[in-house]
Amino acid sequence: MSDTPPADHPLSRRNLLRLSGYSFGGMLLTGVSFTLLESLAGKATEPLNQSLEEWLLKPQTPVPEFPASAIEPEALIVNTYGYTPEIDPIAFRLTIDGEVENPLSLDMATIQQMPKKSMVIRHVCVEGWAAIVQWGGVPVSELIKLAQPKPEARYAYFLSADRYYESWDLASCLHPQTILAYEKNGEPLPVENGAPLRLASPIKLGYKLSKWVGQITLVSELRSRRGFWEDQGYEWFAGL
Amino acid sequence: MLQIVAMDSAPTQIQPRTKPLQALPAKIFHWVNAISLTTMLMSGLQIYNANPVFGGREGWHIPPFFLLGGWLAGGRHWHFAAMWVFSLNLLWYGIYILVTRRWKHRFVGANDLKALQVGKNPKRKVYAWHRIVYTSIFPILLLAIFTGIGMYKPAQFPWIVDCFGDWFALRVVHFATVPLVLLFAIAHSLLALKAGGERMVNSMFWEDML
Repeated sequence: MSDTPPADHPLSRRNLLRLSGYSFGGMLLTGVSFTLLESLAGKATEPLNQSLEEWLLKPQTPVPEFPASAIEPEALIVNTYGYTPEIDPIAFRLTIDGEVENPLSLDMATIQQMPKKSMVIRHVCVEGWAAIVQWGGVPVSELIKLAQPKPEARYAYFLSADRYYESWDLASCLHPQTILAYEKNGEPLPVENGAPLRLASPIKLGYKLSKWVGQITLVSELRSRRGFWEDQGYEWFAGL
Repeated sequence: MLQIVAMDSAPTQIQPRTKPLQALPAKIFHWVNAISLTTMLMSGLQIYNANPVFGGREGWHIPPFFLLGGWLAGGRHWHFAAMWVFSLNLLWYGIYILVTRRWKHRFVGANDLKALQVGKNPKRKVYAWHRIVYTSIFPILLLAIFTGIGMYKPAQFPWIVDCFGDWFALRVVHFATVPLVLLFAIAHSLLALKAGGERMVNSMFWEDML
């Protein structure tokens, strides 16, 4: 009987205080542990999450596409970390180098004569919004095939005219819906969306989809700098 | 003594004082769920703030007190770390209540609905409401996980997005689990206190654990 509450006032101040303690205990607990575990949360589980993402990725299976009527022209928000570079489309060359047998330097006329892939897909931003967009361009797999990758090539760096940089796993680069786009919603790609060439793919978050891509470099190991946002803490694989 | 037994109101059985009111697995589930769910909620609101579901960047932002992660990348790290603890905890508990057949007598049943409709005992009615409310958290949590998978991997699970119509509807439903969980937490706490008093609340948190 000694450890039971006094039956005469079960809803006492003590009880109410305790109740509020239960509600906020979890919050306080995470608040305290937050300072201790700040970076641990990401570092501890990112390898696990990446394994899950790699396991979920079906490298050669296309993601279902949408009909043209589903396009949301207003939904695509222009996100840029810095400035919009001005590129002369006549002088522009796409370079493909690194771990390849046949380094390339291609002008836009050549690229537009290559096999074209058009797709209506969902573009998903890390911020949580998404937009259904039509992209047209050359599959990255066609470009890499032309450059003849060496067996040791495992990753690709995409370098942009605004000094934005990204690295991808090769399997995601070779996915049939990973393209370098020069067309958006049936029109030539606007410069704020990345003209003359930008990455488009339904299998990666938007920050992996570099605009103004001028160079693809295949590498066997990732460098210490893995991507503009990744180097500030964003997840590297970023698969959808 | 009699009064205490009536207050804990486990329907007909009188439990000896030496046996804990709550099974240890239930206590573990409850603790892990409360902490991991709070982490999911706070980191989720951090992610929400990057582009509020309602109104976009111009929309109303959640005050920093309720956030976890510091910025979008930190919020995502917490969210996708805690999701393992949160969902695996729910999974083993689901298996546990199936294997022990706990689901048959610990969750809302026809007897509770009967007590509410034709019952004469007001304490039994409170207990019925308590069971209805705490049973309701399971579909809410499963909905949060289901919509979360749809947003986390829409290219691999496009049919989840299709279930809700479009991306915006999916975001709204995923976000709606936040107010649902908060409403649940309030109703559940008050009903637990009303149905079982301090002893029942204690029994779920720390009784016989210290």
